[in-house]
Amino acid sequence: MSLSLIWAAVGVYLLLGLAIAFLSRSDSTNGARVDMSGFFLGNRQMNGFVSALSYSATTYSAFMMVGLAGLTYAGGVGAFGFEIVYFAGVSLVAIFGPKFWAVGKRFGYVTPSEMLGHRYADRRVAIATALASCLFLIPYAAVQLAGVGYLLAGMSGGAITFTTGVVVAAILAILFSFIAGIRSVMWTDSLQALFMIVASTLVALLVVESLGGFAALFDTLATEHPEALTVPGSGLFSLTTFLGLTLPWFFFSLSNPQVSQRLFMPASLRSMRQMLIGFLVFGFVYTLVSVLWGFSALVAFPGLVQSDLATPTLLASEHVPPILGVIVMVGILAAAVSTIDSIMLTLSSMVSRDVYANLSPTASEARQLRVGKWVLPVIALLALMFAELQLDLIAVLSVAASTGLVVVVPPIIGAFYWRRGTAVGALASIIGGGAAVIALYATGIKPLGLPPGIWALPVALVLYVAASLVTRAPETRTREFLAAAGR
Amino acid sequence: MNARHYQWAVWAVVGLCYVVPYGPLTGIAHWYGSFLFWGVAGVAIIALNVLMTADFDDRFEE
Repeated sequence: MSLSLIWAAVGVYLLLGLAIAFLSRSDSTNGARVDMSGFFLGNRQMNGFVSALSYSATTYSAFMMVGLAGLTYAGGVGAFGFEIVYFAGVSLVAIFGPKFWAVGKRFGYVTPSEMLGHRYADRRVAIATALASCLFLIPYAAVQLAGVGYLLAGMSGGAITFTTGVVVAAILAILFSFIAGIRSVMWTDSLQALFMIVASTLVALLVVESLGGFAALFDTLATEHPEALTVPGSGLFSLTTFLGLTLPWFFFSLSNPQVSQRLFMPASLRSMRQMLIGFLVFGFVYTLVSVLWGFSALVAFPGLVQSDLATPTLLASEHVPPILGVIVMVGILAAAVSTIDSIMLTLSSMVSRDVYANLSPTASEARQLRVGKWVLPVIALLALMFAELQLDLIAVLSVAASTGLVVVVPPIIGAFYWRRGTAVGALASIIGGGAAVIALYATGIKPLGLPPGIWALPVALVLYVAASLVTRAPETRTREFLAAAGR
Repeated sequence: MNARHYQWAVWAVVGLCYVVPYGPLTGIAHWYGSFLFWGVAGVAIIALNVLMTADFDDRFEE
């Protein structure tokens, strides 16, 4: 694909995105009265349609079109199962969404970590949750940046370097989140999500058709790569690996603050329902498309040295007309950027609200917001450094981040369902569980032969329950919180 | 059935997502094996979420 076509497409995307970001500005995000809730939550007035598209774009990103397609290429249909289990985990929104939303409105929470700190009546819980989120989400943002690096390098045949791709994505993310906070993030997300689903579905249909149709594609797979249609298949998706991948991802909608913070934002529960169902329909189609891309690449280009190059190679091939390929490339770039800017925005709200404001309790809302805006580019720079490390399989690194974040799940579920949960229990789960995950990844040790993804949740849960049982729960706060949550 | 029953149905579908592809479908290397099973599971999850959230309109409204 020609270099000028790629840069022209990136330029058009940038201008369109900037225009939408500027149009999304309002009094609540850029006027004199702007506060934390305005900038980071859109004043809790986001409608269901925009929320659904933005939730989809934030969740689905470079990981799906590059990582999942690559994982399908390398490991076969197990990649589809992995994503379907994750997808099923988003049902947790139907259970926890109304509770988050109700307590958020009642107590004015801006971040999920602020909610935990208040629920357990201990600011250290908020600080620990915010710092753990930074620790694990910055590598996750780096994964998205690396996705863009691979994509642009792959599609230009190496003329655009990996580093250039990474830097372009980081600058775009900073711009889109700075202009109007969550409003510019959500509106740019929405446009890109629509664009993405239409263009990528067209490509999938086109590629499958050029390979002889759905039946021919699967017939070729069945004869030439039968291992790609079963688990454990080639061996990548052993049951242990599958469990290690799916367990942390199942809880993604609760453990990842860039999506759980969205539960504070809908204008009503009707909007939240639209957000959830809209996301599920979008996600199902998008998952199928990504998996079909991976299968198509396996049939068309069985000898790739790096599975993450499956999507870029497919898009640059004769199976996809250049103009459609470049449109999807921009869509993937946009989806990666929309995930990064949501993460940056959420992390900056957590650093200013839960770390800075707790350490400096006299700080005004305006001061917190200023600090938050300063933190945004710092997080982008850190993610950029991680991306430059160029680790191998994008999906596996991304799951390492989810494994780390799963340690906040016991305190979150306990906040709504267990009156005996305490601040010490929450801290033990987050700090002890987080340290255990880091130690397992750093040493490569697999106790009983099981990966960190399987250990993280039970370790955190045992720590949470044991430490809670030997300490005293904040009774009054618990009662108020559960009453507001409708229990 | 109320929302709580549908929740249990979701957990059951998730359980089957492990048991069936790693059990009876391990030998079926065709589109109608694990691929179809997980696809149907995905559609079932969407339907169950529609049912689970049917009463969202009148819960907690101010």
